[in-house]
Amino acid sequence: MGGLPTSRTVNGFAVNPEKSRVMYATMRDGLFQSTDAGESWKPVGKGLKNLAAVAVNPRQSTEVYAVSMDGRVYRTADGGKTWEPQR
Amino acid sequence: MGHFIGRWAALFGVFAAGIVGVPRAAIAAEPSKAAPQRRFEHVHGLAIAADGQALWLGAHTGLYRSQDRGKTWTGVALPATHGHVDVMAIASDPRDAKVLYVATHEAGIFRTRDGDLTWTVVNGGLKGLDVHGVAVDPRDSKKVHAAVRGEGEGVYRTTDGGEKWVRVDDGPAGEVKILASVNIPTGMGGIFLYGGTAEGLLRSPECF
Repeated sequence: MGGLPTSRTVNGFAVNPEKSRVMYATMRDGLFQSTDAGESWKPVGKGLKNLAAVAVNPRQSTEVYAVSMDGRVYRTADGGKTWEPQR
Repeated sequence: MGHFIGRWAALFGVFAAGIVGVPRAAIAAEPSKAAPQRRFEHVHGLAIAADGQALWLGAHTGLYRSQDRGKTWTGVALPATHGHVDVMAIASDPRDAKVLYVATHEAGIFRTRDGDLTWTVVNGGLKGLDVHGVAVDPRDSKKVHAAVRGEGEGVYRTTDGGEKWVRVDDGPAGEVKILASVNIPTGMGGIFLYGGTAEGLLRSPECF
């Protein structure tokens, strides 16, 4: 693996429907966003962890949902800057 | 881009930028105020209908739907021949809010075309029923890819909305967790298929 950290599971993935190069990946370590089709990534959603899946609203691409493995649902309405637990 | 495993290229950026060099504080855990939904046991997938209204959640205990932004969830009964359906992945049609594909661990793929009123098993051509990923082509909703594990392992394609599947590729190395068609031109007339796996994120031109 080129000397990079090995074998991290990506268990969720979603793409901005308006800008296909903007994408999200979920891992046990949290939520990550790429704006270059996956070449580089940055963590978003401070405090989110053990994530299982992510989805972008097809009608409103700044609205993104992430859900943890145990079913905690989080929503952002500003493209990932701020997140609120849904309950 | 990265390391090639067959046609599937690993996107290492997620490791390099996401894990290495990220201050721990940036991904530090904070106590969550959201109550876990214990009945899910283990969540596998999430999708939003094309109209942005319904949220769909796939879990070890089945399929669930929310109409209030994920605050409350209602179980959805799938016509499985045995009781327990472990939902591994969900894909919504980006053009039609009533169309949804649901991939399961033991019963193949279910499809609704009427927004959950009726469900159809669409396994024709699949050589295995442990389906770990399903992806609707953003340019052509009838074109769908699915990732099968174990028996009949590989990536399958349908061009008629699930009526008939054909195995088209071995698929990415490692256990597939999610599959997605991404509308980024490959330069060869097609687009890319992305796969989240136990070994990271990979992608391949879908012109198998």
